[in-house]
Amino acid sequence: MLDTIALKDVLLAGAKEVFETMIFIDIAECCEPDRKPEGEKLLGSITFKNSIKGCLVICCSIPCAKGIAINMLGMEPTAEISKEEICDALGEVTNMIMGSIKSRIHDSIGDIQVSIPTVVSGRELESSLGEDANKITLRLNIEDRDIMELSLLYKQNPE
Amino acid sequence: MAKSLMIVDDSATMRKIIMRTIRMSGLDFSSIGEASNGAEAINKLKEAPVDIVLCDINMPEMTGLEMVKKVRAEMPNCANTKIIMVSTESAQELVDGVIKDGANGFITKPFTPEKFQEKLTPFMG
Repeated sequence: MLDTIALKDVLLAGAKEVFETMIFIDIAECCEPDRKPEGEKLLGSITFKNSIKGCLVICCSIPCAKGIAINMLGMEPTAEISKEEICDALGEVTNMIMGSIKSRIHDSIGDIQVSIPTVVSGRELESSLGEDANKITLRLNIEDRDIMELSLLYKQNPE
Repeated sequence: MAKSLMIVDDSATMRKIIMRTIRMSGLDFSSIGEASNGAEAINKLKEAPVDIVLCDINMPEMTGLEMVKKVRAEMPNCANTKIIMVSTESAQELVDGVIKDGANGFITKPFTPEKFQEKLTPFMG
């Protein structure tokens, strides 16, 4: 049985590990529940299956994703970067956070198989796994400027 | 003499990030090539083997695991090529399995320049 609070801690720890190691940006949990990513957004997702199945979804504004990509690549803040590279970078962030989560919950639930990440863009983006799914949402302050929303949606496999 | 390197990953962004991390680690390579999957890497290695390959696991066309097996089984010109896996996968069974199949090391994503230095320095001499 998965502990929701523990999973939220795992999600935060995974995100911090990736942001500190690869992106060099400080993040903190956002305590304002009404703050969300604004404008046109990117949504990175990656699915998993085995004893639990579901997906990890990461959503942020395009300027936020651009800042992340530029930092990961060590580019100048004003450098030009294509949307393709920005999406690729967000996909890699999604992949690495999922990998971090996977290793942290391995002892509790065993190995899970993870897909290749995908990234979509749009203004009204939502993620759902149906009404009977568990959903853990974490909002992060990115450099006190942007908000990133991470959601872990899952169902326990009855088999 | 500086070593030659190939980076194999289906993400062009990740290949650039790895190159940047290598620069930050202070490791010096005579050349750095790229491939976007195992099959492309095999084709390039047939033409020109390299000293070290950094290879992702989950890639289209040919995974990193398949590539390692194929290089070790079918490519004697790469007998001295060191293959280091770079992946978000970290389960000990998988790491042990790929080492048994012929990989020489494993680096987990996310990684630091210090981790690259630690894992690659033994093969730079």
